[in-house]
This record gives sequence, structure tokens and C-alpha cells, in this order.
Amino acid sequence: MKYAGFLVSLVLTIALAIAVSRPFGAIPPLAPLLDPSHGFWQNSYSEDELAEDELELNNLNAEVRVVYDENLIPHIFADNQTDLYRAQGYITAKHRLWQMEFQTMAAAGRISEIVGPMALDLDRMTRRKGLAFGAEKGVEFIRENDPDSYQNLEAYADGVNQYIDQLSDAKLPVEYKILNYRPEHWTAFKSILLLKYMTDMLVGDRDLEYSNLRKILGDVMLDKLYPEFPTGVDPIIEAGHKWGFKPLDVTRPDSINYPDDQLVIEPLPQPEEGTGSNNWAVAGSKTKSGNPILANDPHLGLNLPSLWYSMQLTSPEHSVKGATLPGALGVISGFNENIAWGVTNATRDTRDWYKITFQDNSRKAYRYGDKWEQTSFRVEEIKVKGEELFLDTVVYTHYGPVVYDKTFKGTRQDVNFALKWNVHEGSNEQKTFLMLNTAKNHDDYNEALNNFTAPAQNFVFASKAGDIAMRIQGKFPLKWKGQGKFFMDGADPRMEWQGYIPNEQNASTLNPSRGFVSSANQHPTDSTYPYYVFDNSYEFYRNRRLNKRLSEMSEITVENMQELQFDDYYLHAAEALPIMLDLLGNEYGDDADAKKYVSLLKEWDFYADPNQKAPTVFYIWWRKTYGQIWKELSENVAPIVLPSYYQTVLFMKNEPDGAVFDLKNTAEMENAARHVKEGFKELLADMKSWEEKEGDFAWANYKKTSIQHLVPQFKAFSVENVYTGGGSGMLNATSGRHGASWRMVVDLGPEVKAFGIYPGGQSGNPGSKYYSNFINKWANGEYLNFDLRSLDQEEGVLFQTILN
Amino acid sequence: MKFILLTFLTVLLVIVFNPFVPYWVVMIGIMILSVLVGNKGAAAFFAGGIGMGLAWLGQTVYISTLSGSQLPQKMGELMGFGSDLALIAITVVLGFLLGAFSALTGSLLRKHLERKPDNIYGR
Repeated sequence: MKYAGFLVSLVLTIALAIAVSRPFGAIPPLAPLLDPSHGFWQNSYSEDELAEDELELNNLNAEVRVVYDENLIPHIFADNQTDLYRAQGYITAKHRLWQMEFQTMAAAGRISEIVGPMALDLDRMTRRKGLAFGAEKGVEFIRENDPDSYQNLEAYADGVNQYIDQLSDAKLPVEYKILNYRPEHWTAFKSILLLKYMTDMLVGDRDLEYSNLRKILGDVMLDKLYPEFPTGVDPIIEAGHKWGFKPLDVTRPDSINYPDDQLVIEPLPQPEEGTGSNNWAVAGSKTKSGNPILANDPHLGLNLPSLWYSMQLTSPEHSVKGATLPGALGVISGFNENIAWGVTNATRDTRDWYKITFQDNSRKAYRYGDKWEQTSFRVEEIKVKGEELFLDTVVYTHYGPVVYDKTFKGTRQDVNFALKWNVHEGSNEQKTFLMLNTAKNHDDYNEALNNFTAPAQNFVFASKAGDIAMRIQGKFPLKWKGQGKFFMDGADPRMEWQGYIPNEQNASTLNPSRGFVSSANQHPTDSTYPYYVFDNSYEFYRNRRLNKRLSEMSEITVENMQELQFDDYYLHAAEALPIMLDLLGNEYGDDADAKKYVSLLKEWDFYADPNQKAPTVFYIWWRKTYGQIWKELSENVAPIVLPSYYQTVLFMKNEPDGAVFDLKNTAEMENAARHVKEGFKELLADMKSWEEKEGDFAWANYKKTSIQHLVPQFKAFSVENVYTGGGSGMLNATSGRHGASWRMVVDLGPEVKAFGIYPGGQSGNPGSKYYSNFINKWANGEYLNFDLRSLDQEEGVLFQTILN
Repeated sequence: MKFILLTFLTVLLVIVFNPFVPYWVVMIGIMILSVLVGNKGAAAFFAGGIGMGLAWLGQTVYISTLSGSQLPQKMGELMGFGSDLALIAITVVLGFLLGAFSALTGSLLRKHLERKPDNIYGR
């Protein structure tokens, strides 16, 4: 008994020590997090305060030097390629480790490991789409066909892993501390997986929605509301381009039986609206300096840490600079001493669905022609934090994985659909970028692009030699007209893709006479291109604004190109608003607010600058009107897509009293004017509540551009309400959550001049002053100097580190 | 005097060793210090607590001032405490509790170690 006091105190002390080392629900373990020597406090230091002159990196052939400029952009100088990529891995991990790992966890369908059962459905979807399956194929393909790239991938992974092994508790990125886990080792597989994840972010399909629309509307109405080549399309490859090749034959089956059910299943997550990009190059004949100028701004979700990480990579053979993807090798959008290149998404329907008829409940065989084909099973083991391992069996057919079945998102027991997608085939996108990094001319660029399968991209190119070019590169299936627009019957062998468009027949152009090349996610070609190139998401506004400006401009300077990237002209409003005002007439009576809004709109110059109020009024009015017009369609229980804004405006202009505007289930006959007026009433109500609640309805205040941390719940690590203009459908495509994730302008003179910026900062650490320091400049349309640096250059150095 | 000595030694221990070892090793260290210095129960409790709390306070203020970082503020918001000051306070309270209970345990342990000779004389 006499020990009681001591024992009680000992037990209490141990209990306390254990309690503060454990998480409670969402609260992370307190002591490791708050301990000033190891916890989050240690993440308060910025990189320059922790600068090291020398760091240990094994397996190098020679010493590697890393020079950080004042924006914390590392410039890596190595003696050979393997050292270069080993150092790239090490340095990227040093600044962006948590992000690169988290993104590959998402790509692998392993988020449940970190956050628990709430992510299980998301992980199942990721796995059932076969992203990891595709990455496994990709690694196999590279190992067999391209040992050099594979060696570099391994070197990169080794660099990342050496960093992880050196990592002290104190330096562990703060997100690991909060979420209470530790980094695992990097592999070549993860780099490839990351590139597959990009495909997933950028490629969509609307086969489900179009199948339903076909059922609801019939073929004739479908073609009217959703024409594949609407009037006024301005394609990427200049209209009238001569295709100098003999196309392969594609045979269309004489009779097609589409699976005829109206499908109420949850569609796959699609690339979000606003995901798109601009790129262009102008020839020396149009510029003041006589040098070609190239510009690129990919629009993606705006996140912190930023998707992009800037770097210069220099070996004795080359020196390349631009935006890298943490986790992938080389520079993705950038330039070297000879050329510059950039990418935009080349949306095209490369994902198709086949209805599978299983022989019986065992799902071991499925009908194909008059035979039964064998399936294979892949069991996905999903670790779930705090719960038991979840096993998900996915059936694979020769088309690909059966994503929807009785166990997943199929409300009907007999629904089975297999996904055919070129991401499941072995390919080597990494090689394209490695080759572009060292490319010297147009031939090298073409050679590099031949390795690229998915996500299909519009690769813009300009060289010091004076060439400008554009090529739409991806592995595109050969399709008969209409193939893959709707769900197909997997039992019918005639529904198979009939091969692929050969690389040299992919649409491309070199030095067109108009003096520029450009792309902004629109139709790739005019209707003379001999292959079927359908997609639902072709864009109609940015490209026409861009091409109009580029045609008009001459004596172009780098500043002009920067201004064009930041152009807030709202073409959709410029086309729709006069029609809407006309249809509205004077029927809004004596309402003071109505008068105020109408006069705002009438005085507007159609620029969506941050301080303008009219864009807000137009935006709401348009959305309400659009909602009114397609009310009946959108009330369907089955998932569908609505006609494009562009097509809708065309109807309002050309047939305002046409049958498309009539709502069938009302007694009267509606017309465009009726919908515009209804929309206006709703606008008044919306504006009233907005003005009461928020007051100011200036555009920036209304759209509330926010740059969110990758974990949306970590609001304090996000930057909200960024004051900037632009919006979806404008060249400066900065909407609420999407926008220019990277802007680059390169002048290819004797000495290459480059400028770049992205909405974030070089550091992945929310405690660093380099975490979000580019955002204000980005929001103002300013740029950072991105000129290539030499090793002996002294000005503007933040600090230097030697790796050996 | 003993009170100030234990407080001082605890501060020193935390500042010198905490960067290299996890907090629970520091707790064992404080317990040993408390055995050696030999404060009475309540005095040991407060001396150890104030020592570790003070050391953590000093470190957090030092890091915040030196780095000028927004992170303490952001973490305060993220964890729902509202501000960096609240987070500093919570860190200090946690340090106090860890130091206090460790020192108390050490002090009680010493009482038993000291008693042994008493038992020999059978008093």
C-alpha cells in the first residue's frame, strides 16, 4: 500500500504520455504535433533560413550544384542525365514531398488509408477505372522498350527515397504531422501512375448521357440540339488545311443495335468545367523583334501546393526550364536554348463503354459474337484507416474493367459495363517529355511526340530557327462516324475499335501562312479531316477570341502576349447579352433595381475585370435563362448533358420562336423571350438576396476565386477571395476554382527570354514565406523572369547547395 | 531554492535534449531530475511543470519571432483554437502537464528510495 501514491502518479503520467501520443477522432496526436522541437512549430521556418551549403546524395557520378534564385526556383547543374534526374527527385521531394505522395495515393485509390472510410467509394471508383492497372502496364512497357527512360525513372525514385530516409521528425511536412502518417518509398511505378492520373483529370466521356439523350430525344432532335460541327467553329488546325495523306479505311456496320435502356446510373466523375487551356505561337513575321513568341497557360483546378513546380535542369548537353510536375521527370511545359513547347488538353472521346452479357452469375464468361469469352478477376485490396481491409473484385474483359456492376453504383442488378480506354495500354508519355527537354528542332519535337498516347494534347512548338507548329497528339482510335458516342453492345464484335490513327496522320500544321498557330480546347479540325473526331466538351469562346486577336495583331511584343493571356473579354456575353436585352424589351416596369441592372448591362464593355459589376448581373441572368430554356430536359432522372451555351445562343438568335423553346408539358407555347423574361425575374430575386447578404456584387467579389489546399478541410492553408478578373470561357479563364494554373511566354531570339508565373509558390510548406508568394503577382497579371541561368551567374541568388 | 533548481534544470534539459529525443524521453529525464533534486510532492509538480511549460513557451515564442511565419496562426485556425496565442497557450499547458506529472512521479519515487534505510531500523 505504501507504494500507492507513487504507482498512482506513475500510472497517471504514463496514461497522460500515451493519451497525447494518440489521435482522438479527427484530432491528431497532440504531443508530437505541439512539441516545439519536432511538431508543427518546426515547419515555421522558410527555406532560406534552413539553407544548407552541402547535402548528402549517394550514387552520383559527380557533384551536382543547385542554385536557388530569389523565388526559390532551383537550377540544377549536373554532369550527366542520371545525376540530373536523381537530383531532380531529391530536390522536388525536399520541397514538395507530401503533395507528390498524396497525389499518387489518390491516383492509386489509397486515400482511405489516410482519411478512413469516407474515401472508400472514391478509391473504389479510381481502382475500378483501372488507373493502377494502366500504370502497371506502362511500367512494364517502359522497362521492355526503353531501358534509358527506365533507368532515369529509377534514379529519380532513388533521389526521392534518399531524401525520405534523411528526413527528421522536425522536417516532416506538416500535413503528415496533422494527418498522422509517414511517407513511404517512391518508385518508378508512382511516377507513371501520376501521369495516368493526369489522364484521368483531363479525359472524360459522355457516353452515358448521350445514350440517354438518344433515347429521350431521338436521333433527329439530338443532332439539332447537339450538332457535331456547329456553325462558326474555328478549329485548331487552320480551316482549309490540306491533309497530305491517304486515310485508312473505317467500315461502318450496316446495322447497329445500341443497348436500348434508359440508364439511371451514376456517371463517372468528369473533368470539371473550366478545365482547359490556351497555347499559341506567333511567327517572327508578326512580332516586333522578328523572333517567334510562344505562350501557354494550362487551366486546371487551383490548388495549394500548386500542381506545378518550377525548375531549371542543366546537363552538358542541354538546359531546360519551365514547369515540372512533382513526381514526373523533366519539364512538362517549358523551353530550352533552342525550342519552346506548351500543352493544352486535346479533348476527344477516347473512352468507350461496352455492355457486357455474362453467361451466369459467376461472371467467368461473357458473350462475344457466338462464343463465350473468359473473364479475369482482379482483387483490389483497399486499406481503410481504422477499419478492416476492404476487398473489391473487379471483372476484366478484353475491352477493359467492368466498372459498373451489381456491387458498384448499378441500381439495376443486370447492369454491367466495361470500359475501354487507351490508358490501359502500355505507353511511354514520360519519354515524350524527356525528349522535348533536349529537343533542338522541329524534327526532334515530332520524334518526341510519337511516344505520346494519353491524355491527348495539343502540343504547340516554336524554335529559334523560326519554326512554329501545332500537333494534336494522342493515340486516337479509328472510329466510324458516331462510334463510341453512345454505349455499345460488347457482345457484338463489329463494335470494336478498328485500330488507331497513325501518328503521322494526326492533325498537325507547320508554319501556316496566317503567321500563328493556336489551340484552346476547341474542335481539332474542320469537317474535311478524314477521321471521326467527336467530343462533347469542345470549347467555343476562348479560341475565337484568341484567333481574332492574333489575326489582328502585328508588331507583337512579349508584353502583348502577356496581356492576351490576361485578357478578360467575355465573348459569350458579347454575343448573348444584346440578344437577351432585345428579347427582354421594356417589360420590367418601373422597378428601380431592374432599371439599375439593365443600365449597368447596357453600358458594359464586355470585359470581366475584377471591379466590374455588369459581369455578375449577366452571369446570373444567363444561368437563370439557360435553366429556364432547358428545364424539361434537365428534369430527367437519367443523367444527361445540356446543349452548349454556344448552341443555345445560336437558337436564341436564329429561331427565337422555334419549337426548341417550347416546354411540352405546359399548355402555352413558350419562346426565347419568355425564358429571358423568366430568367430576369429570377435574377432580380437573386440579386436582391445577394445585395442584402454580401453588399458589393463586383465580379471578383461574386466569383470568389479561391486556391484550395489539396485537403479541402485545411481551410487555413488555402488562399480565398483572390482579387482577379476573368472567368470560364475567357482567355483569362480564372473562375471560382479553376484558372490559369501556369502562365508562360517565351521569346525565341538569339538569347531566349522567358517569363512565367503560377498561383502558388515554390514551397509546399504552408509555414514558409514561399508557399503562396506568387499569388498576388499572378492575380495582377504580372510575371517572374524565367531566363535560363548559367552556373557562374551571381545576381539574384538566394542560396546554393552542393549535392554529393 | 530546490524549487528554483528543479525548474531551472528542467528548462535546461528540455532546451538541450528535446531537439534530439521525443517528448516521452524528456519526461523520463525530468522524472530522474526530480529524483535527484528531491523536492516534495506539490513543489516537484509545479517546478517540473513550470520548467517544461516555460521551456516550451520560450521555444514557441523564439520560433515564431525568428521565422515571422503565419503557420502558428494558420494552425490555430485549423485546429479550431482560433489564434496563434491560443495555440501557444495550449502548447504551454501541455508542456506543463507533461513536466509536472513526470516530476511528481520522480518525487514520489524518491520518497520510497529514501525510506529503505528507515525500514532497516524498523521504525
